[in-house]
Amino acid sequence: MFYRQSIALFGIVLPLIVAGVVVGGAFFVSSSMASDFAEKQQYYKTYEVNRIGALGIEAEVSRKRERVAEWKKQLEDETKSTMNSNLHKIQELLPSKEFMPTSIDPLNSAGGLGSLSAQKSTQIHLGFRGTYRTVQRAFLELETRMPQLQLQELKMDPSGGASSLLNFDVTYTAWEN
Amino acid sequence: MATFQHPSALNPLQRYSQACAVLRSTSRARNDAWYRQALDLDFQLHLRADGTGVLCRAWTRKTGQWSTGPAVDEDTLKNPEKFPAFAAEVVAFAQKSGATAVGVVLHVADEFATTELKPSFDNPGALADLRVAAEVDPASILDDSSIPPDQNSWRILPYPAAGSEAIATTITLTRLYGPFLDQLRLAGEAANFPVVTHALSAPLVALLTIPRAVRPSEGRTFLTVLHYANFTVLAFFNEHGDLRLIRTLQHRGQRRPSNLRHAASTTTAALEFVDPEVYLLHLSPHADPGLIADLRVVFPSSRVEEIDWIQSPFNVAEIPPHAPELQVSVSPPTDEAQGAISHTFATFQSERWAFQNFLPTPRDTAEIYPARSEMRLLRAIRMIRLGIAVAAVLALAWALFGVFTILRSPEWAFDTKADQAVKQRLAGLNAEKQRVEHWDNLLADRSKAWTTMELVCRLFPERSGVLIRTCQHLVRADPAPGKQQAGFIKEWKISGYARDEAIPRLNLINSSQGIAAIFSELSRVTQNPAFRTDLISRSLIPNVRTQENGGFRMRAAEEIQDDDPTTYPWTFELSITQRFESGDPMSINVAKAP
Repeated sequence: MFYRQSIALFGIVLPLIVAGVVVGGAFFVSSSMASDFAEKQQYYKTYEVNRIGALGIEAEVSRKRERVAEWKKQLEDETKSTMNSNLHKIQELLPSKEFMPTSIDPLNSAGGLGSLSAQKSTQIHLGFRGTYRTVQRAFLELETRMPQLQLQELKMDPSGGASSLLNFDVTYTAWEN
Repeated sequence: MATFQHPSALNPLQRYSQACAVLRSTSRARNDAWYRQALDLDFQLHLRADGTGVLCRAWTRKTGQWSTGPAVDEDTLKNPEKFPAFAAEVVAFAQKSGATAVGVVLHVADEFATTELKPSFDNPGALADLRVAAEVDPASILDDSSIPPDQNSWRILPYPAAGSEAIATTITLTRLYGPFLDQLRLAGEAANFPVVTHALSAPLVALLTIPRAVRPSEGRTFLTVLHYANFTVLAFFNEHGDLRLIRTLQHRGQRRPSNLRHAASTTTAALEFVDPEVYLLHLSPHADPGLIADLRVVFPSSRVEEIDWIQSPFNVAEIPPHAPELQVSVSPPTDEAQGAISHTFATFQSERWAFQNFLPTPRDTAEIYPARSEMRLLRAIRMIRLGIAVAAVLALAWALFGVFTILRSPEWAFDTKADQAVKQRLAGLNAEKQRVEHWDNLLADRSKAWTTMELVCRLFPERSGVLIRTCQHLVRADPAPGKQQAGFIKEWKISGYARDEAIPRLNLINSSQGIAAIFSELSRVTQNPAFRTDLISRSLIPNVRTQENGGFRMRAAEEIQDDDPTTYPWTFELSITQRFESGDPMSINVAKAP
């Protein structure tokens, strides 16, 4: 029985060791890669969440981007001049006897709703004379053209006499950039 | 043929390599015959050398038939130059016969000698140890230490008879035929065909014919005379048929030993046998007809008989009658039904004392090859190794599959720089979104003049019996310190005149449900969410005070004008307070735009 130990050693033990080393090495590489992979998966998952989130926000923001750009452009202009410009345009649209701006008076101070926010704002006082519905339409036009206007105060009084015209005293808070 | 070395000269790796080479290049793993005894093989070639010639017969276990073997003479067995040719002829003969192995059994019938054991070995229980010692260290047990062990071979033959002076003797054969048998085995190895050799002492085998060929009288001692060409063997049995003594007489060129009568008479006298029966077994091709007369002279009162082989159960047509050993060696063990079995013969058969191999494969030669169990282990290891390899490959494949799966996944190819880019993009978009939301919040339609005027119209539709004197709308801040959103309060104060038909309308306005219905309707019509009343973050409180108009004067119906306050019997003051809490969707962002 000279061969038994050699056969057991080189025939069984050594192949087992070699197979163990190969398999162990493969599993080591595999598990090492799996560990790296888990880390990358985490990055990738975060990336995907961020990417999808970005796509969602992008879609949401892109719908408003044009409008916001317009807002910003308007907000960069001086409120009084914008107001004047818009009132002139509105006047051209409406019967002159039913809508007459009587005053535009910037107050040069924040107040009312503007005092609640750190966002820059200014107050502007307007005076109109006109018929109810025409002035309401003028307000609609003005507030559509200048969404930064927040009505602060509105007074309506008869202008006196037999006239059907009314006096409107309006104070707006205008958000500025 | 590969040349193999003795494993003791090899390191472990070389041993393993040599074992694998044996496995690959020989049939030892597949053919068990390499590891079996010649007498156990299915195809055997029996050679019987008795000094006058060589008998060669082949035997097949499947048919139980004998046939003539290759032609051989004494010179072939002794002349080394003739060994290879005959060995090749033996292999070819066996292969031609369809055998997978051949057992070559040499019946040595031309020499026989006994050597006594040392007297100190007198324990019958030690026979097994003596049997081993006779093979590996004969000098340790032999009384005559002058015989060279490298030229002779000894085997124990026990004396089972009770009262024997010695427990056993040794049978001695020279190693004359050793080279011949070695060459046969080498030829088998060269041809990768098992040739297993076995050298028997013909007289020992011939002893086994006695139970079936000899019928001694009950309770009588007897003597058998085995007459060969070169010697005569005398075997003495007691009244129970057990062997007491065996001795040999050399013929020394004569047809029979000159001292036969003297030896027979003195030995029987020494053994105290009285008129033993005498049986003569002719085992030489040339029977001596005067031998029986000689014996009758010595034992005049005894029964003296010759064994007639023709009438014996060992007579086979293909074998000469004087060579019964061949048939004995392949016959199954004799049982009592076939003959009177004494303890001696039962022991000789069961323990195979008569079939001892006098010229076995030298140990150094036998050890070159892996043992049977090692070959089986080696063969099994191939399967085990295959299993290990398959398991390793499967495991490797599984691991590689996992690796490839990982490598092919988008996660693995993912560049973390892209993550940073997306994060930056997301941060930018979030900032932009916050800005958009901020301006969305600030620019929300929370307080608009045209909707306020529409409210007045909805509160008091045309021809509702109301004349409005003043209308004032005021928006006040409602700070919420520490919060990110701030609420506000919207107030409407309307005063005027009312007729009787307007009172239900004023009452409706003064109720929570009534004013809420008006606001909700206004919200629906103007699409302005500031007038929604279904939010818990908002409250809506109306208050109407009516009193008689001091300036009222009754008129005829045709004199009543809608713009004349004196035609209204009632005055009223309406105040509506709408509060937006800091949690309201229309509350104002406190922070500046990001």
